[in-house]
Amino acid sequence: MRMIIHDLEQSDFQRLFSRPLNHTMVISPDATIRHCLGCFGCWIKTPGACVIRDGFGNMGEHLSKCSEVLVISQCCYGGFSPFVKNIFDRSISYVHPNFRNRNGEMHHKRRYKNTANLRVFFYGETITEGEETIARGLVAANALNLGWHAAEVSFSYDIAELEGRVG
Amino acid sequence: MKIALINGSPKTSGSASGCILQNLRSLLDEEGSVIGEYHLKRPGVSAEEVAALGQSDALVFAFPLYVDGIPSHLLHSLVQLEQSLVKEKQETMVYALANCGFYEGHQNRWALAMMESWCSKAGLMWGQGIGIGAGGMLPAIQSVPLGYGPKKNFGKALQQLAANIANCSADENLFVTANFPKLVYKLAAEAGWVRSAKANGLRWRDLSLRR
Ligand SMILES: Cc1cc2nc3c(=O)[nH]c(=O)nc-3n(C[C@H](O)[C@H](O)[C@H](O)COP(=O)(O)O)c2cc1C
Repeated sequence: MRMIIHDLEQSDFQRLFSRPLNHTMVISPDATIRHCLGCFGCWIKTPGACVIRDGFGNMGEHLSKCSEVLVISQCCYGGFSPFVKNIFDRSISYVHPNFRNRNGEMHHKRRYKNTANLRVFFYGETITEGEETIARGLVAANALNLGWHAAEVSFSYDIAELEGRVG
Repeated sequence: MKIALINGSPKTSGSASGCILQNLRSLLDEEGSVIGEYHLKRPGVSAEEVAALGQSDALVFAFPLYVDGIPSHLLHSLVQLEQSLVKEKQETMVYALANCGFYEGHQNRWALAMMESWCSKAGLMWGQGIGIGAGGMLPAIQSVPLGYGPKKNFGKALQQLAANIANCSADENLFVTANFPKLVYKLAAEAGWVRSAKANGLRWRDLSLRR
């Protein structure tokens, strides 16, 4: 399965993805999403699921079925926008609490066996060169942390520039 | 000099960020500054908080690393603060302490870089960032005096930061971890997960449940 995580207005999303999406789960901005409380309940109370049951509590399970994760996010200070970041924060049930060394650093053991290509499209009118460097470093760190492959990171001035590129 | 200590952990109590600020405060109090404490534990900042932060000479953020970055609720508040603070054109200095669960302090580097980028977008001046590894240990060793045992390097970094805050000066980011062996930290943390799971009526192998 492919997952698309984005922070676009519905109309912009439809402009970018005008054809029907097969085998794709779309995570769209939703004001009712709650933020992670840092309780680790997704590891030690209900392992594999977030204890907040607001419709975003099963992100870890959904990610375990993905071979591609496509992210379209406004670039905020070199990272994701608050909504997209919230989705990542609410997804740590995807990994196991125990630690493993990767590249000489501490990371998490996997809970699931799948691996995914992470493709990230950042947009924004004021992205600086420094923020591009941060964003590339961040996506590489995310991929290492989640056991994925950072397949693509790109930057666009606006959403129109993404047309035809995110299919 | 007015200093705002801002806890960016979503935890109501017992956060490593809170311990870090408490330790830092003990050093800043010696300098005789006026210190205000704030806790941005939810998305959004109140009008009073915006006003108070806008009037501070130094903003000191302490927050946990979430998925290699800034926790989303804090990010949300930073976006709001950027829009308010950019209008004030104050010469405010910004310092940040990011702590993470992994052992290596440098895993906080991207989050600190994002704080620096926020600072320039909000028209503020970047002072220094401290990346702290093995942050999960800090609440458990709260009674250990700063600068001793596992808090030796952490103490040195806080001393340097406190001096920079007091002088309104900028400095290189610092990355520290506990003076404690990595393997022992790993084993202790993993034993902690099993204990917590058992306290919740689970067996150790439930930690590996797949859905
Ligand atoms: C949603 C979430 C994501 C996290 N991501 C990371 C991470 O990427 N790297 C890391 O070392 N620790 C990570 N942690 C661990 C926290 O940074 C660590 O537990 C920290 O000490 C919490 O600080 P606090 O008590 O001030 O909230 C994460 C924790 C949570 C809840």
